[in-house]
Amino acid sequence: MSHDHDHNAPAAMVDEISDFEALEIAVREICIEKGLFSAEDHRKFTEFAEHIGPTPAARMVAKAWLDPEYKKLVMTDAIAASKAVGVDYLNPTGFGTPSDYTDLRVLEDTPSVHHVVVCTLCSCYPRPILGFQPEWYRTPNYRRRLVRWPRQVLAEFGLTLPAEVDVRVEDSNQKCRFIVMPVRPAGTEGWTEDQLTEIVTRDCLIGVALPKPGVTSNLELPVHRAAKPAHH
Amino acid sequence: MSQHDRTHHARIATGKGDPQCFAGTAGGPPKFKVGDRVRIKDMPDIFYTRCQVYTRGAVGEVAVVTHESPAPEDEAWGHVDKSEWFYIVRFKQTDLWPEYPAAFANDTLQTEFSERWLEAV
Repeated sequence: MSHDHDHNAPAAMVDEISDFEALEIAVREICIEKGLFSAEDHRKFTEFAEHIGPTPAARMVAKAWLDPEYKKLVMTDAIAASKAVGVDYLNPTGFGTPSDYTDLRVLEDTPSVHHVVVCTLCSCYPRPILGFQPEWYRTPNYRRRLVRWPRQVLAEFGLTLPAEVDVRVEDSNQKCRFIVMPVRPAGTEGWTEDQLTEIVTRDCLIGVALPKPGVTSNLELPVHRAAKPAHH
Repeated sequence: MSQHDRTHHARIATGKGDPQCFAGTAGGPPKFKVGDRVRIKDMPDIFYTRCQVYTRGAVGEVAVVTHESPAPEDEAWGHVDKSEWFYIVRFKQTDLWPEYPAAFANDTLQTEFSERWLEAV
């Protein structure tokens, strides 16, 4: 039997790194050696990138629900409106050059139209105001299926929309970036901006969920283990 | 030593943003306006494109005139001296996918194109 030579091989101490991770390290080290940025700059940028999340976008939606004047600004100049929630798109890190493109658009849901965002070409996402994409947003599975079978994919997220609500998919393929402004749900009358911000989760801002009183985190999707996992 | 100017983009975009730094560089007003019916051309894309195959040949309606920018087919190769107007075009899903259920005939999809991809219907 020639195929059982590795059955007793010891388990790897760390997961193998991918080709892209090796490439990133190589490019980063060359940049540091050339003096394009320092290791300290890189650490600061990484820490910045890892701490941003969807809270500013959630607050933007909550403020717009409460303040019609602010909502007008959100719908006409979302980059300017971002400043009120602490995000300066032109200088998001407080150092260095602008990151990401700076044409942010807010897609306003109505009782009869529901928006959902995807990028079929890669994973375009308004990172300065929403943080990093969830892993599923980057998967070819979500990207190729959402444009074609949006209702079925939304149902997999637990969002089943009635036929009288039209689904509008936004395929974010150029320099515009998008967030969804859901309809303010019933049962939130008299709520403060802080209370409203809590229920506008990341998934609501992408459009794969709707805000609900009492729900303040994204749905945990069950992970089905592969029956025949790929052998590396 | 590369002749490519690696700081060009940072110099033009800092303080303005991208695509704002290309405002006024398309050489004229947008050819289409909101509500215009347009067909997506099926042009060759051997090197790079951001025009999805599923939109080629489809007819939609201009929903937003967004901004001016070099087309990605040029910008990907560092050619940023010529800009175009960009448009968000709205399609009926039933016009894009033959099997899309007729029960959801009002479902739509929007995506963005540079002017070169659009022709008036």
